[in-house]
Amino acid sequence: MNNADIKVLLVDDDEMIRDCVAAYLEDEGFSVYCVASGEEALQLIAAIRPAVCISDMRLSGMNGEEFIVTAHTLSPETCYLIHTGMMYCLSDELHAIGMSADDVLLKPIHDLSKLVNKIKQCAAIRRCTQ
Amino acid sequence: MPHSDIAKQVHKHKKTLLDILDTLPSIIVRVDRNGRINLVNRRFEQFSGITAAEAKGKLLQTLIPQFAGELQQVAVVIDCKSPLTNARIQSGSGANLRYYSLQIYPLDSDVSGMAVIRIDDITEHVRIEDIMAQTEKMIMISGMAAGMAHEINNPLGAILQHAQNIERRVSADIPANRKAAAEVGADLDLIRAYMQKRGIFDFISHIRSAGIRASDIISNMLHFSRRCDSGTEYIKLSELLDRVVELAGTDYDMKKKYDFPRIELQRFYAADLPPVQMSVTEIEQVVLNVIKNAAEAMADAGMERQPRITLRTRLSEGMAQIDIEDNGPGMDEATRLRIFEPFFSTKEVGVGTGLGLSVAYAIVTKGHHGLIEAHSRPGAGSCFTIKLPLKGRG
Repeated sequence: MNNADIKVLLVDDDEMIRDCVAAYLEDEGFSVYCVASGEEALQLIAAIRPAVCISDMRLSGMNGEEFIVTAHTLSPETCYLIHTGMMYCLSDELHAIGMSADDVLLKPIHDLSKLVNKIKQCAAIRRCTQ
Repeated sequence: MPHSDIAKQVHKHKKTLLDILDTLPSIIVRVDRNGRINLVNRRFEQFSGITAAEAKGKLLQTLIPQFAGELQQVAVVIDCKSPLTNARIQSGSGANLRYYSLQIYPLDSDVSGMAVIRIDDITEHVRIEDIMAQTEKMIMISGMAAGMAHEINNPLGAILQHAQNIERRVSADIPANRKAAAEVGADLDLIRAYMQKRGIFDFISHIRSAGIRASDIISNMLHFSRRCDSGTEYIKLSELLDRVVELAGTDYDMKKKYDFPRIELQRFYAADLPPVQMSVTEIEQVVLNVIKNAAEAMADAGMERQPRITLRTRLSEGMAQIDIEDNGPGMDEATRLRIFEPFFSTKEVGVGTGLGLSVAYAIVTKGHHGLIEAHSRPGAGSCFTIKLPLKGRG
């Protein structure tokens, strides 16, 4: 699978974080979409059906957890990853949609190549299950 | 009433009164304005090793000289008819350190010119107060640490990841870089040669390694905030301690800097201790940290005597207890009280982060609902005690 075929949606209210992660992923050839809030992401997600959605937890408006739970109903085949600056324990709702502790990435990610591997892994699983 | 009956009655009342005094857990002494003893209770006899008969007529301050300072107030208390309450006295040091409260009351009866002194051993009470103050302080610091960690992680992410982006955007391996360079009339190889010559690649690499160092400190600080339930398992403390000792033996710092192989290790493991539920990697980290601190303190002190670490386990009040004792230089009371605070370090600036023991504290108290304490005396080594509930976090 070509990286260009893998759509990644980034949800983070910090522009710097969106920029630096997007720059790396774009250099890797992924199709990257960036938004600053869960509300904006919900408008986009059904239309683009990303393979992977990476969301911050502390967002202005709805928080990351609410966003993922709602987004999952609109795009259940998307793989959701959490990218957060706080120690975060998955809620029961997020466990219920199949997320595990491996899907929580603590900021700052020291080496973004690890994120790339994770995205590729998620995309491969998604392809198998479709 | 016949005289003999009255005498019997008086004797009976006196005995009842003395029984009450003897039943009290406090030391009770009645003295005159000079401190001369008129009456003592049984607790006084036990404490001083002097019988009531021997004590009578003697000066109290000579029998229990550790309280002599406060006992000077007896005359003032009697004259002013105003009690002295809640004087806190510290006596002894190290393992023999005890705290007492001393109160002096003027006797408001026909036996005027006398005072009653009450002394209580409040060591346990002070210890609990100490732990509570420490816990409160740690809770406050932990809240701050978690908030700060979050605020710092975002900009740190931008620094680290943009540094990585810069490295990649001048990489010769990405075709888009050559294309963009050509579009502005530049040669990527020349740009790279210039950056190499001016040490710019090194600068970027230093930004990344400094960022990673800062991020490691923050991630340690996050141990103070809410933790996810990492897997717990039942393990024998003896097995865990042996594993940590083995781990310590392979640690670079321990081998090269602290001369770990030279340290004599004594192990006394209680046979009746059942396996304890815990996050094994976390408690291993705690024990390793304490052992490392001991080894470092002993190496720094350049001890003439054989350095020794003693590991003990036992069942204590329904909890599993680990003692890690060294015969190193020990520490003074001021250091001991601050030893678990984040960023508290006795080392030079730049040597160590001062986070090791504070993380250990967070893991034991917050993560495992246990207890960690340090006992020490300058020149006589330190002993760290870790107590864990047998059934983990409960």
